[in-house]
Amino acid sequence: MTRDITEGAPDAMTDLAGTFTDVRRGMIPAHIYNDRELFEREKKEIFGRSWIFVAHESEVATPGDYVVRRVLRDSFIITRDEQGDIRAHFNMCLHRGMQVCRAEIGNASHFRCPYHGWSYRNDGRLVGLPFHQDAYGGEAGFQRKGQRLLPAPSLDSYNGMIFISLDPDAPPLAEYLGDFAFYLDYYTKQSPSGIDLRGPQRWRIKANWKIGAENFAGDMYHTPQTHTSVVEIGLFREPKAEKRKDGATYWAGNGGGTTYKLPPGDFDERTRYVGYPQEMVERMKKTLTEAQQRVIGEDGFMISAATVFPNLSFVHNWPRVADSDDVLPFISVRQWQPISENETEVLSWFAVDAEAPEEFKALSYKAYLMCFGSTGMFEQDDVENWVSLTNTAAGAMARRLRLNSRMGILADGTEVTPALSAEQFHGPGTAHTGYSEYNQRELLTRWADHLDRPATPAEPLEVGTLASGGQAQV
Amino acid sequence: MTATHSSRSVLGAHASRIERAGSTLAFDDSRHLQAHRWLVDEAWLLDAQDYTAWLETLTDDIHYLMPVRVTTALGAGFDTSPGMAHFDENKYSLSRRVARFLTEHAWTEDPPSRLRHHLSNVRTFATTDAEHLVVESATLLFRNRGDVHPGSLVSAGREDLLRNTADGWKLARRTILVDESVMRMQNLAIFL
Repeated sequence: MTRDITEGAPDAMTDLAGTFTDVRRGMIPAHIYNDRELFEREKKEIFGRSWIFVAHESEVATPGDYVVRRVLRDSFIITRDEQGDIRAHFNMCLHRGMQVCRAEIGNASHFRCPYHGWSYRNDGRLVGLPFHQDAYGGEAGFQRKGQRLLPAPSLDSYNGMIFISLDPDAPPLAEYLGDFAFYLDYYTKQSPSGIDLRGPQRWRIKANWKIGAENFAGDMYHTPQTHTSVVEIGLFREPKAEKRKDGATYWAGNGGGTTYKLPPGDFDERTRYVGYPQEMVERMKKTLTEAQQRVIGEDGFMISAATVFPNLSFVHNWPRVADSDDVLPFISVRQWQPISENETEVLSWFAVDAEAPEEFKALSYKAYLMCFGSTGMFEQDDVENWVSLTNTAAGAMARRLRLNSRMGILADGTEVTPALSAEQFHGPGTAHTGYSEYNQRELLTRWADHLDRPATPAEPLEVGTLASGGQAQV
Repeated sequence: MTATHSSRSVLGAHASRIERAGSTLAFDDSRHLQAHRWLVDEAWLLDAQDYTAWLETLTDDIHYLMPVRVTTALGAGFDTSPGMAHFDENKYSLSRRVARFLTEHAWTEDPPSRLRHHLSNVRTFATTDAEHLVVESATLLFRNRGDVHPGSLVSAGREDLLRNTADGWKLARRTILVDESVMRMQNLAIFL
């Protein structure tokens, strides 16, 4: 075990090596859910190096459209430029560091800094520099040509989902997602047109960001208890929330999720069972691969919640939206954006297939509002739990307690329920039916692995000088 | 002006389209006094979380809308998130929300919050229909949970359409324009 992980933190209270060892064996030191020192490490080693979701291409559908999104404290302008290309630039003027865009959504051909009037095209290029000749002596003093707002160090997308990484050497997004992409398609590629993403609703909760990520990755066990009330009021066709244990959890690549077991039927019947009209089912059959269809049609598992490391989650469910027996499916994309070790900004979007009938889109949106988001009846009870947990994790006793997160395995590591075979589950990765914490352990093991690696300091970036030729003019 | 939010919202097709006509009614106009009293009584019901009684004060065609506010450049022409709201409700979805609070398993309100809906800036307008009034108000909700957590606030302006029925005035349409883009409350397990 490398020891440099504690260097530079002489007042560290945490035995980091011990913490990571405990996490890897599924015994979670409770203080990791409210620990400033660990959060400082998370900022650098997780959010400074992972692929972080910022927007979907449908949010910037036409040239000039932009949204402003953050990776922790760093603000980025996500634009579609006049050529139709997606760009992500650090929202900080190259001159004095003012935010060049102070709105969060809009359409603009240029961004002009209100401080000294430097202006940038929506592709990031610096095009306006007042008194360039008088003040700087022109190009000899400040090289305007070729200057642009700092681009996100890495930018990539999958099914229109735009991710950025602060690491210029980040692996390609497809490699980062790995086999989880198989499951991401269910949420984001129900037709060749993909999704329209609407929102987000944004709100801040006094909870650590990891709790939501873990919950969506694999916590089928909480459903019968936490969400009893939504079953009691008749929002679901299934009379008992403990149906969840018949579903499967899977972990594949850099993410994992939960499923529901559906009643007997083929792909069409099972997909209609959760409320998709036949015309959408037909399009899914064209866009989903044979293996993706077999998970539903043969294996009988329908995707529900999921998380991609570190902080992007999904949910798919099918409540009643009127006083009838019909159910309507909805999809939500959500991000657990850390504010501090004990506060998270939740960004919750509604996603719907772009080719879905208008009536379906409206009712699916209603289903979303009733279940998830700032007013969602599921989400209300989840957040209450997470705030309480975070608050309790701050104290001295929480430093002693190791939370048992070993559900699904015996003391010697034997699985309570054996993993599903390739014939029982046609998706990639490892899947288990029944209640378990495999996925939470997978997520937190990644968390430990990221924190437990040597830091790589970022290179400074100079602008305007002739430094690219070697010598900065001082 | 806010009535247009209802007509543009995703789920507002069923909502009444009646709008204000003319300037504010005098503060001693009996219609203003009735509307103001209605709002004060409602604030009391919401503070007490007497949601069963509150549901009775809504018409069957209620549209209860709370758009998501967004920060946009001056002159952008919009300041709410296109196609997204916090609440975009009809009587059915409101009734499910209320029914949930009445179960013994709505954990987010067990123990219950302490709520105070502060009401001010009430302005009443006549409409083209004698049985309808438009009422604007400001509301500031203070919500406190548990013993040591600081309270949280929601500030919002509201535009309501009140309808005179056989059972007295009822709320037929409400648009809530919250004053924050990012809510500072852990959830909206409350009504405004």
